[in-house]
Amino acid sequence: MQPSPPSSPPNPRPLKLARMEDSIDIVQATTGTSSIPSYRPDAKQRRYDRQLRLWASSGQRSLESARVLLVGCDATGCQGLKNLVLPGIQQFTILSSAITQPKDVATNFFLHPDSVGQPIAQEAVRLLSELNPSVEGAARVDDISTLLQSEPFFFTSFTLVIATNVDPDVELALADLLWQASSEVGGPDIPLIAIRNSGFCGRVEIQLREHCVVDTHPDTTHTLRIDQPFPALEKHARELDLDSMDSMEFSHVPWVVLLVRASCWWKDNHEGRYPGQDKADDERSAERTAFKALLKAQKRKGDEENYDEALSQAYRAWTPSTVPYELQQLLETENGALVTQNSKNLHILLQALKLFLTEPPHLPPISPTLPDMHSSTTSYVALQNLYKAQYRADLEKFKGYLAQTLSSLGLPVDAIPDDEIEGFVKNSGGVNVIKGRALRESKEVQGGVRALIADSFSEGNAPYEIYLPLHLAFLSAERFFSQEKRWPGTSQDGDMAEDSRKMAETVRHIIRDAAQGFSGEIGDLATNAIAEVARGGFGTLPTTAAFLGGLVGQEAIKLVTNQYNPLDNTCIVDLVQSGIEKFRF
Amino acid sequence: MSPTVNANGVGRSSPKAYLADEGRWESIDRVLDRRGPWTDEQFVGGRETKDVLRSKAKILVIGAGGLGCEILQNLALTGFSDIHVIDMDTIDISNLNRQFLFREADVGKSKAVTAAEFVMKRVPGAKVTPYHGKIQDHPPSFYLQFDIVIAGLDSISARRWINATLVQMVDEENPDSLKPLIDGGTEGFKGQARVILPTISSCYECSIDMLTPPTAFPICTIANTPRLPEHCIEWASVLEWPKVFKDKKLDTDDPDHIEWLYQQASARAAEFKIEGVTWALTQGVVKNIIPAIASTNAIIAASCCNEAFKLATTSAPSLNNYMMYVGNDSVYAYTFEHERRPECPVCGGESIIAEVGKDWTLEKLVDWLAARQDLQISRPSLAYSGGKPLYYQAPPQLHAATLKNLEKALPDLLIDGDEVVVTDPGLPFTLTVEIKYA
Ligand SMILES: [Zn+2]
Repeated sequence: MQPSPPSSPPNPRPLKLARMEDSIDIVQATTGTSSIPSYRPDAKQRRYDRQLRLWASSGQRSLESARVLLVGCDATGCQGLKNLVLPGIQQFTILSSAITQPKDVATNFFLHPDSVGQPIAQEAVRLLSELNPSVEGAARVDDISTLLQSEPFFFTSFTLVIATNVDPDVELALADLLWQASSEVGGPDIPLIAIRNSGFCGRVEIQLREHCVVDTHPDTTHTLRIDQPFPALEKHARELDLDSMDSMEFSHVPWVVLLVRASCWWKDNHEGRYPGQDKADDERSAERTAFKALLKAQKRKGDEENYDEALSQAYRAWTPSTVPYELQQLLETENGALVTQNSKNLHILLQALKLFLTEPPHLPPISPTLPDMHSSTTSYVALQNLYKAQYRADLEKFKGYLAQTLSSLGLPVDAIPDDEIEGFVKNSGGVNVIKGRALRESKEVQGGVRALIADSFSEGNAPYEIYLPLHLAFLSAERFFSQEKRWPGTSQDGDMAEDSRKMAETVRHIIRDAAQGFSGEIGDLATNAIAEVARGGFGTLPTTAAFLGGLVGQEAIKLVTNQYNPLDNTCIVDLVQSGIEKFRF
Repeated sequence: MSPTVNANGVGRSSPKAYLADEGRWESIDRVLDRRGPWTDEQFVGGRETKDVLRSKAKILVIGAGGLGCEILQNLALTGFSDIHVIDMDTIDISNLNRQFLFREADVGKSKAVTAAEFVMKRVPGAKVTPYHGKIQDHPPSFYLQFDIVIAGLDSISARRWINATLVQMVDEENPDSLKPLIDGGTEGFKGQARVILPTISSCYECSIDMLTPPTAFPICTIANTPRLPEHCIEWASVLEWPKVFKDKKLDTDDPDHIEWLYQQASARAAEFKIEGVTWALTQGVVKNIIPAIASTNAIIAASCCNEAFKLATTSAPSLNNYMMYVGNDSVYAYTFEHERRPECPVCGGESIIAEVGKDWTLEKLVDWLAARQDLQISRPSLAYSGGKPLYYQAPPQLHAATLKNLEKALPDLLIDGDEVVVTDPGLPFTLTVEIKYA
């Protein structure tokens, strides 16, 4: 059993003040009733307050156990590390055998003129460590490719590896090592983030073999089930005695109850059909209009806000609750036969969810969250309690299936912590498993990138955006480096024309190989992309470094917290036109 | 790790030798010595361009917070040497997760001063002049001395002020009076960077309607039918605090004040069986805390400084004119040209027309103004174009004297085509609204 980070929902609660669609998590709440303890934040909570409101204490715990390796040491890599040291990873190591030059100092904020002549890794570690006293830093002054041969376990001992502007052949060897060390189901996954930049242009590539997201932070986690109310909700709505209510009470019945009640009445009088079900276009809209008219007719004074809300949400009466599309896709790709004792918890939970869904109503568990709505306190709390009770019932049922799954795998019934199970059941629509691709595939122009090139350049086509041409320019520059042992745009006389010509030749070759009926003309965009990349001479502009470092920091945080969907797998940055684009290569 | 520090400094270059070594600019010089396929016609390159960047350009940074720290770092490294920074804030411990020029020992010190000192220490050759104070305390002549202004602010009213000031400063006779304003903003994983050429491109005020209006809870919900923990917290801060403490102002930075609110809100929540009031939520609601992380600030600040670099050197075209960034679901950016708004109260020529009904009261006009998404005002005061007050929110005497106008019918106060002058605490300029009866 591989431990995966706990998936309990945010606490402190997400900050956004409640709007219509915001929710209150009534189970996670901690408020006492008799004496109220303070829970005043300690120094650490105060330091991290602004980020805890995004990834919560569970995300912070994962961050604080992350060990990150930076391979190579330049401005871009150090900017990326800065964005990880500040929020508080456990440890970082910088691997580089280089000695600091004045031109390194000039672009890298984490070097000082005093650093010149010293090992760059040591100097950068020293200045990065100042940013956060609770983060450990270490320098490893060694040659990367020698170490890859002699000590591969050094690289695989980290949570995540970042390679910044490393020799393309060495970068690929590192990618291969990490790909092999990670396994499809179960086993540690060590993502690689590879950076390449030249002047105003940059690229970030992420290699992950399999990555679990325990909370994608979807816009909504509500499972209101207006069309298919659970029995207690239906009973509550049907038994409501609207006639005996005074106008105050009447105008404060939550819209959820009003809609469920109207839907039940409709079904009772229409052979169990919801408004518009099994009807042709015009009759369908007529039924829906009739349903709304029915609701409207119940108003007493005409200005009841709760009815206005019900009317604006009426579409829910004819929008069948289903398993969310992304979850459906995910469950289809989850192969139960591959799940073993060693699988990550999320795979096991998804197997149990499959069993849960075999039972009517074939829908994911009810979430205990409810949006705010016009209502009296008592009616709202009563409604909330119904959802909460149903959530608990679903949780128990789910735990039954989970026990079954665990025992079939030969695992004890308590193999997955309760808070992780609860987090999953509350937010089963907000999980994801990403099956990544090997960096080698992209570098050898197979898979996604091959298909895109074929699509963009076949039969007289040409791409109309700069991003694929920029990727091709970087790819050709990497091949250029492998042959010439120098980067394009760095010849002594400052001439770029010859280097650009060679790059264009390589790009032409790559396209010809991938695209049927390629004209042989790489086109203006690719020509210009090559010229701009060569112009940068693979020097690091501090602004480009900071931009890419921001992206890298952000994606590393997502990867180590298992929260939010990460980039999968390539992002091209063009700071000439100030735009970015992502691809799955 | 054991740093191999040489006690006698052997092997290290002296700062003087470092500064004399022009070769250190190698990476940046590549794009200044050579033109790219998109480089502007005006681009000269070489010595002249480098001189403008490294010796002549004077740049102002507004805000030394999350974006400001990043901006100062980037400007110093790209070669700007005459950098000025304004900020009125002092350093708080909750800044340290992203404002990387500050340390725990700096808590309580001026952000502008501390940031300036740090950057000068780290990047020899860069001169950073700090101003601890409000941007509104400087006259237009102060802003006239800069070539470029970069704003990394979280306050909407401060951004409206600097935007309006720079637009009003433009003198058609004097091209130097046009100061490009580069504006950045972030919220959690999202942000935007834009380039504003006052009177030429869309200004901050032109896009004010893109802001999400702040969440306001109806007072009756807070007082009578609380449902969310936020409602209980608002009750404690908006209703209970003034009731109990009378004239003592709530200080949302004082933990004892937050503690009191938290206790009150918790008790009320318990009474109504509402769950979820926490210390952090209480603080978040009353301070209107926006999540903030280093990585988003890095991306937006880098984008802003890249635009400053491009403007100062013409080495590449500048952003036209808005990039929005979203990083919470993979990565996404959208770059587009935000159009000027002809009726923009700051840079547009057309006046705002209020189409009113003959049956309107003055109060209805006041509410109508406050509800307009493109004005973003909350407490408008109104006067005749000659200056005579129609309705004033403050001071108390004027408020009392004009209060009775609110219930009067509009036709009794204004005729068709009359102009009304509107002022508001959130508005850094006066607004003229023309009355048109439907
Ligand atoms: Zn404008």
